[in-house]
Amino acid sequence: MDIQLKRGLLDVCVLAAIKNEDSYGYKIIKDLQPYIVLSESTLYTILKRLENAAMLTVRTAVHDGRLRKYYHITETGLRRIEEFKAEWKEVISIYQFVIKEDHHA
Amino acid sequence: MRKQEFLAELEYGLEGLPREEIDERLDFYSEMIDDRMEEGFSEEDAVAGIGSLNDVIAQIIDDVPLSRILKNDKPRRARRGWEIALIILGFPVWFPLLISVGVILLSLYLVIWALVISLWGIEISLWGCVIGGIGLAIVHVTQGNYLPALAMLGVGLFSAGLSILLFYACIAATRGTARLAKKTVLGFKTRFNRKEIA
Repeated sequence: MDIQLKRGLLDVCVLAAIKNEDSYGYKIIKDLQPYIVLSESTLYTILKRLENAAMLTVRTAVHDGRLRKYYHITETGLRRIEEFKAEWKEVISIYQFVIKEDHHA
Repeated sequence: MRKQEFLAELEYGLEGLPREEIDERLDFYSEMIDDRMEEGFSEEDAVAGIGSLNDVIAQIIDDVPLSRILKNDKPRRARRGWEIALIILGFPVWFPLLISVGVILLSLYLVIWALVISLWGIEISLWGCVIGGIGLAIVHVTQGNYLPALAMLGVGLFSAGLSILLFYACIAATRGTARLAKKTVLGFKTRFNRKEIA
């Protein structure tokens, strides 16, 4: 898949994974597994990027006697998801066009 | 591999990066391994699930911008007065040397790309031969010179065949050079990191 497109998709996927409740690294990977396979290193990069863009905040909490980082979506993050939904309609209409071209060829 | 072993080797592999960057990565992988173990994986399997250590290190170094690696290149102790004096006095020597090393590296890079560009040049001129050959063949036919026409047609078709083969070579050379450039940057970043350990 095109790198730019994939990067944008992964960002929104991770945002969606923390949309309803705060989540942690391993759970995000597991929740996304049926849709997209993420390596730990890739997830780290995405989380950092989203944090820098103020789309999520990080808090550290004690879990079972050790520390775990929880990611919380911000207003900006929620807005990004909404933007994505709007953009996606455009992408789908382009997709329909591309498929139609295929049939004529 | 056990968790502590993995983290120790990861730390060693990342040495040279800013300290907080390393600590954050170590915490992240440590949490990942713990979470896997909590789910029932054995320690070995949890570590194996992270993937190859070398791949992880390469991806992290590739991720960190060169500017952050360079920024970290500060001396562990304050420089002494004579060291500063030496650096300033030595300026006429080391500065031109530094520039020439940079220029040599840049020109090597340009030479490689020049080779690729000249390959494309040959490709284009071969297509010129195709058009010229077939064009001349047509001219000869209209003038009734059938033998020269046949020869020119042969030249045209031969060039066409050659240019098709060369086209694939050109594509491969362009891709290879781009990949080499990317690898060189990664290698440079890794080298810079390793130098810090010594």
